[in-house]
Amino acid sequence: MADAPVDALLKGSSGKNTRGLLRTIILFTIAAAAVSSRLFSVIRFESIIHEFDPWFNFRATKYLVENGFHSFWDWFDDRTWHPLGRVTGGTLYPGLMVTSGAIYHFLRFLTLPVDIRNICVLLAPAFSGLTAFAMYLLTNEMSPSPSAGLLAAAFMGIVPGYISRSVAGSYDNEAIAIFLLVFTFFLWIRAVKNGSIMYGALTALSYGYMVSAWGGYVFITNLIPLHIFVLLCMGRYSTRLYISYTTWYALGTLASMQIPFVGFLPIRNSDHMSAFGIFGLLQLVAFAEFIRGYVPTKQFQKLLTSMIIITVAVGFIGLSLLSISGVIAPWSGRFYSLWDTSYAKIHIPIIASVSEHQPTAWPAFFFDLNFLIWLFPAGVYICFRDLKDEHVFVVIYGVLASYFAGVMVRLMLTLTPIVCVAAALALSHIIDTYVTISPKQAQAKSTESSSESLRSSRSPVVGIYSYASKAIVTSSVVIYLLLFVAHCTWVTSNAYSSPSVVLASRLPDGSQFLIDDYREAYYWLRQNTPQNAKIASWWDYGYQIGGMADRPTLVDNNTWNNTHIATVGKAMSSPEEVSYPILRQHDVDYVLVVFGGLLGYSGDDLNKFLWMVRIAEGIWPDEVKERDFFTSRGEYRVDDQATPTMRNSLMYKMSYYNYNSLFQQGQAIDRVRGVRLPAEGPQLSTMEEAFTSENWIIRIYKVKDLDNFDRDHMSAAAFDRGQKRKRASKRRGPRVLRTE
Amino acid sequence: MRLFTAVTALCGLLLPSSVVCADERVAAISEFNPPQVFKNTNLVRHTNLEKGYVRETVNVVVENVGKQPQSDYYLPFSSDVFDKVGSLEVRDKKAVEKGRFNVEAVELDFRSDLEYFVIHFPEPLAPKSQITLGISYTLLNSLNPRPATIEQSDRQFLSYSFSGFTISAYPTVTQKTKLKFPSTKVPDFTVTEGLKTSSGSDPERQGATFTYGPYDTSKVAPGTTYPITVRYEFTNPIITASLLERDLEVSHWGGNLATEERYWLRNNGSELTSQFSRVEWTISSYQNLPSSALRELKYPLKAGSVDPYFIDDVGNVSTSRYRPGKPNRDAHLELRFRYPIFGGWNYSFRIGWNNDLASFLRRAVTGADSYVLKVPFIEGPKAPEGAQYENVVVRLILPEGSRNVKYELVEGSASNGLPGPNQIRSHLSDYKTYMDTLGRTVLTLEAENLSDEARDSQLVVTYDYTLLDGLRKPFTITAGLLAVFAAAWFIGNIDVSIRKR
Repeated sequence: MADAPVDALLKGSSGKNTRGLLRTIILFTIAAAAVSSRLFSVIRFESIIHEFDPWFNFRATKYLVENGFHSFWDWFDDRTWHPLGRVTGGTLYPGLMVTSGAIYHFLRFLTLPVDIRNICVLLAPAFSGLTAFAMYLLTNEMSPSPSAGLLAAAFMGIVPGYISRSVAGSYDNEAIAIFLLVFTFFLWIRAVKNGSIMYGALTALSYGYMVSAWGGYVFITNLIPLHIFVLLCMGRYSTRLYISYTTWYALGTLASMQIPFVGFLPIRNSDHMSAFGIFGLLQLVAFAEFIRGYVPTKQFQKLLTSMIIITVAVGFIGLSLLSISGVIAPWSGRFYSLWDTSYAKIHIPIIASVSEHQPTAWPAFFFDLNFLIWLFPAGVYICFRDLKDEHVFVVIYGVLASYFAGVMVRLMLTLTPIVCVAAALALSHIIDTYVTISPKQAQAKSTESSSESLRSSRSPVVGIYSYASKAIVTSSVVIYLLLFVAHCTWVTSNAYSSPSVVLASRLPDGSQFLIDDYREAYYWLRQNTPQNAKIASWWDYGYQIGGMADRPTLVDNNTWNNTHIATVGKAMSSPEEVSYPILRQHDVDYVLVVFGGLLGYSGDDLNKFLWMVRIAEGIWPDEVKERDFFTSRGEYRVDDQATPTMRNSLMYKMSYYNYNSLFQQGQAIDRVRGVRLPAEGPQLSTMEEAFTSENWIIRIYKVKDLDNFDRDHMSAAAFDRGQKRKRASKRRGPRVLRTE
Repeated sequence: MRLFTAVTALCGLLLPSSVVCADERVAAISEFNPPQVFKNTNLVRHTNLEKGYVRETVNVVVENVGKQPQSDYYLPFSSDVFDKVGSLEVRDKKAVEKGRFNVEAVELDFRSDLEYFVIHFPEPLAPKSQITLGISYTLLNSLNPRPATIEQSDRQFLSYSFSGFTISAYPTVTQKTKLKFPSTKVPDFTVTEGLKTSSGSDPERQGATFTYGPYDTSKVAPGTTYPITVRYEFTNPIITASLLERDLEVSHWGGNLATEERYWLRNNGSELTSQFSRVEWTISSYQNLPSSALRELKYPLKAGSVDPYFIDDVGNVSTSRYRPGKPNRDAHLELRFRYPIFGGWNYSFRIGWNNDLASFLRRAVTGADSYVLKVPFIEGPKAPEGAQYENVVVRLILPEGSRNVKYELVEGSASNGLPGPNQIRSHLSDYKTYMDTLGRTVLTLEAENLSDEARDSQLVVTYDYTLLDGLRKPFTITAGLLAVFAAAWFIGNIDVSIRKR
């Protein structure tokens, strides 16, 4: 053959080394690409924590770094959920914070003064590099082809479905959880393949880490038993399964119970029961296998049947008894909403109000996965051709995750890894078929098999052996790959790289203009209000206020107490006379609302207002009614057609207070809802405007103290306006202003 | 130029050289009355109210009326302003180039209405002879906004109260006070009756300058006060930094001088009567009306400054701008805050930038391994209304292994805005960062009550730094990596398998 020096590198033991080196280099390149494609937001904006939840994680990490691990474990946070507080240490998944804390202390040990914020911002990209590597390992277990693993790693590195949750600054549990998910699956496959106790134990360790990091660990808790169950049903029981599963279950459950937030859930919660049941089933099957060796077949059949019936009956009765008596917790609301997409909308508005809990729209699959989504079924098909234990796993995972991804937008994240595996299997199969098989080998094979064949029966080089088909297929694959890369970069850059704390827009000359109202207002709160001033806002902004303004809040994104959230919702949706006592009772000093009317920022509180009404209505159906906020024609309006309830609600008043003085008489326009506002702006008497940000996105109001002359605020405000005191003061009404 | 050096190498001792009796603590006496050995023949006080703090210069002709030559002149302040006195500097008015006199605070261990500084003359003043002292100082936080709260678009007025008779420990024969206001709008001021020696109104107005006096006070006992209050318009913010931390980091390898400053800023002007109104603010900033709110600060940087940043606790302040400027011209960092800072509001932030080290550092003439570094002591923003700093901490981070650190604050014939060397506390410490083994030598200087007059003051530091010190870090890193490789190789060779061999 041709090039001798290349051959020397590619063949024999030095060839193995060369390929190993090449593979390492490729993997490093993939990791580098994965990391760098996530840095758009840092380069375009700055090293900043994004969105909402990450601000809490960041704050918790700072607490961990400042106060040490033990006080973090026992952290009771009295600066959220005022006046209830939150047992933060026991109600969070500490894996993320502990990981960053460990990195921080390691770097301090090397005397590298890296800011904890930068560690938090860059944690997700760094772990995405590791995810790509774990993906390589996992896919290598599935396919003998060396290219499949590398392809899967490359896909995983840049696929938007994963990037959406792991750009720099997106410091959320998913940042490390996806790596752990993939890595746990890799170890699990290894354990099943080899029947190795060591890999089973490693799986349990990795699983324990996963439990500490993300609530999505339940996915693993159910997928692995399902894998075992399917294998058992296929009659593939072996000691390998027994060893790997029992090792994983025993150690993994113990590990998961060390997390305070999980605690005894693995033996009490229905979500975990399948793992427990399979554990029992596996013992029975093993026992049966053991008996089979000693008992004649006929008797064994009888024994088996009776045993199965008894076990199922006992198990079922026991389970239902435990469920009824409440020892095993009932299914959680989020779980129900997995099966019935309209469940949450009817029963739990607070879950339905979160956009990432909505069902996925069809284009989202293509948007997040591009051409992988149509390679995915092909990959699953290829698994069926050579259905080993690990291929069964891919099939089950693929089916389950596709369903979940269809139900909830955020679960697209769990689908992404298996799509990458399957697509890589399919694509590597195509590439191997068309690129590496040369016609000469095929001919040699055919001559070997039928050496006596006639010359005429020797077909010309056609099909996959012809150079034309090879060229066409490989070039189209390359084109698809290139399009995929372009798509991923475009999506990452345009859809997933905005911090959402800072809004970017373009000036007419093309230069970037930043709208920084959130931080302006939060920093004002931080600098110019008392350290313990209580801020009431809708729960979306709770974490940000806690993180950036460092002030106590009433409700935040943890949403553990629906009643408390409904209280804030009621205060926002009621008239001032009702809201003021509520705010006073909760020690509220400032109320913060988000108003996008001046700028046309659509994510403002008036657009979320109906959720506040609905959640409040869930608790006080007599006092807050969603119907009252719609006009008689069923429209949600804020202009002069708005209903009196709407116009008197605190939220409406706080949004539009003083807004019309920015315009000429009667010209005030709300740019979000595109309507002209009433000429007369709303009057506020129990609060005063304390701060409004530059573009009016954030408006902060100070709740007035009780009146010096013991009047109610309405009459005091009327007196200040110079109006005559109404005679109606004798009327005894339900309006009570005094709280003390 | 007198040389004040702190030899602070390993023992961290402060040893001022060529200072007469500098370390002699003035003993605290139970009832303190300075010996009446001087007489102020003539005293002229200039009070400048153009900035957000008070700048006073007192020129006084002092005569020794005692029998012995005297060298200690006591300078009293009432105890409520004593802690606000900054940048106190005393020179011989006839020979300013001889430098400042040594001044120190008298420590009294009991409460007293007056507290004293003592001025040590470099050579004792002979009996009957005279010396003209130029005493200059600033008074921080002595201007009170009146009314204390205003509406957002109202104009701000400040009031300043002082004694018409300059407080002195010694009898004063004649004296007068000149006040300089920022504008001619002075609606309220005390008018005296029958004090002035000459005819005419007291005070005498001349544009934005008022003159109280001259008074004949030879019969008036020292320490007598005559309260005078003036109230004048001051439309600018009163920029006050309760703390300024300034880090200067020297890197020989990078050839870089990195500066970072952390400010805890406050506007001490009138607070808002009602709450902040965005509508009003938008309108007034559109019309460019003067306001007592601090909207923006201009911070001049040396030419060639690069990588500036302006961040606060929640990240980059995106509203700021940097104008690099032309070659050899100052660059400007425009610090526009997230929100306008009204009276009583706070803003803490951090700025920093890099400079080429070559323009600040050179080898000393004395030795090959000795270096001289000349950097600004403080820089700070440049604003017409001035800025006052209650506490300033300057940390100079020298390369790892620097020894024999000595510092000196450059003085010219005019005031450098800094207090005397013994009013500046200094100490040496270690600071470990970026893979340091020994830790970098840090010279910390702390001063109180500074004003933006100290902007151009220079700090000169000499230190020894050998080539070996410079190579310590590469050696350390190489050794560390080798250790890691060796450990990896060793661990990789351990066979921990439980298989039979």
